[in-house]
Amino acid sequence: MNRRRILAGIVSVVFLGLVALFLPSLHKTAEPAAPTMQPVAQPPTETAATRAESEPPSIPAPVVEAKVAALPPAPQSAALPDVDPHKAFGSRNAPVTMEVFSDYQCPACKTLFTTTNRRLMDDYVSNGRVYLIHRDFPLPMHAHSKVAARYARAAAQIGKVEAAEQALFQNQEKWEQNGDVDGTVAAVLSPAEMAKVRALVKGGTLDPMIDKDYALGQTYRVNQTPTTVFHCKGQTYPYSGVMTYDTLKTFLDQLLSQKSL
Amino acid sequence: MMQSNPFNLRRAILWIGRLVLGGIFAYAGISKIFLPNTHLWPMFILRFSISTNLSTFAQQVESYKMLSPAAVDFVAHTLPFTELILGLLLLIGWQLRIWASLITLIMLGFLGVVSRAYLLHMNINCGCFATPEPLTGMTIARDGALTALAVLMTILAFVEARQPHPWSAPEKV
Repeated sequence: MNRRRILAGIVSVVFLGLVALFLPSLHKTAEPAAPTMQPVAQPPTETAATRAESEPPSIPAPVVEAKVAALPPAPQSAALPDVDPHKAFGSRNAPVTMEVFSDYQCPACKTLFTTTNRRLMDDYVSNGRVYLIHRDFPLPMHAHSKVAARYARAAAQIGKVEAAEQALFQNQEKWEQNGDVDGTVAAVLSPAEMAKVRALVKGGTLDPMIDKDYALGQTYRVNQTPTTVFHCKGQTYPYSGVMTYDTLKTFLDQLLSQKSL
Repeated sequence: MMQSNPFNLRRAILWIGRLVLGGIFAYAGISKIFLPNTHLWPMFILRFSISTNLSTFAQQVESYKMLSPAAVDFVAHTLPFTELILGLLLLIGWQLRIWASLITLIMLGFLGVVSRAYLLHMNINCGCFATPEPLTGMTIARDGALTALAVLMTILAFVEARQPHPWSAPEKV
C-alpha cells in the first residue's frame, strides 16, 4: 500500500510539474490583434471583466511570455513607436527602457506610482540608467479613467505631468466616486495653467495619442494594469502587477550588470 | 463470507474530494507563484517573476482590508506554497485525516472571508487564483460547495480510518 502511495505521489508531482510548465499556454487566447478587443483586468491588478457584468467573463490572455518570442521584435528605446516626449523621462540612450501601461483609476497603478515609481525616478531615471515611458491604458471598466488620461496628458503638454499624476493618484478614491477629474487637477495647477489644460482637453487632439498607447499595449498583450514592459539588450520582458521598489531595484541592478541575455 | 465492493460511496467521495480539492489547491498555489509572470530563465528573472506575482497577490490580500501590512506580507508569501503542498499531500493521500482537516479549516476561512467581502459589497478581486476574477455570488457558491466537499471528505476520512474498507485493511498473515 505504501509503495502504491509513493508511486501515486511521484506521478502526481510529475503530472503537476508538467501542468505548471504548460500553464501559460492554457491561458493563451487567440491573437489579440483585433483593435476592438477589450482588455480584461481589475483590482488589484485591474481587469476589464470586473464590472462588465453584462458581458460573459472571458479568459484573460497571458501578459507574459517566457521570452516573448511572439511579440513584436524587441525595440530599443530609440525605435519605440509613438513616444510622447512629455510623458517620457530620462535619457533615450539608457541601457534599460521601461514602458509602464497604467490606468489612473486602477488602485494597483496608484500603489505602483506612490511606492515604486518615485524612488525609481530618483535612483535610476535621473542618472540615465533607465528610460521611463508612461503609456495610457484606460480600461473600459473604469468610467473616468479616459477622462483622467486626457487631463494628465494635457498637463504633460504644458510641463505639469508630475503634479497632475500625483493629484490624480493621491485623490483617486474621491474623483472615482464623484467624477470630478477637472477639479482634482485644477487643485494643483494655477488658473492660467488649468485654462490651457482645459483647452487641450476640449481640443480633441489627445484622444488619438491615448488610443495609440492603448493599441500598442494590445500588441504587447497587456490585459492588466499596471503592466511594465522592460527592454534591455534586445530582449523584451513584460511584467504585469505591482512590484515593490526593493524587488525592482534588485532586478534592474542584475539586468544592468548582464553582459548579454 | 463478507462481500465487498471496491466502488462503495464512501471511497468514491474520498477519491473525488482528494482529486478535486487536491487539484484545485495545487493549481491555486502554482498559479499564484508562477502567473501571470512566467519568465523562467535566467535565475534572477525567475526570482523577479515570482516576487512580482507574490506582490500582486499581496495586493489582493490587502484589498480585503482585514490584515495589517506585515500580516498581508506573511500571508501572501506563505499561502501559495502552503496551498501547493497541501494540494499535493491530498493527492498523495498520506495522513489524509490531518491534511483533510487542515484544508477544511482553510476552506472555512476562505468562505468566511469572501462572504464578508461580498456582504460588505467590496468591489474587489477574489484572489482565489492568479487570474483576476471579480468576487461575485458565484464565488461564494463555489467556495461553499468546495467547503462542503472538504467537510464531507474529512468526516469520511475519519470514518474510513475507524472502519477500513476490507480492500484497504491491513493484510492478515
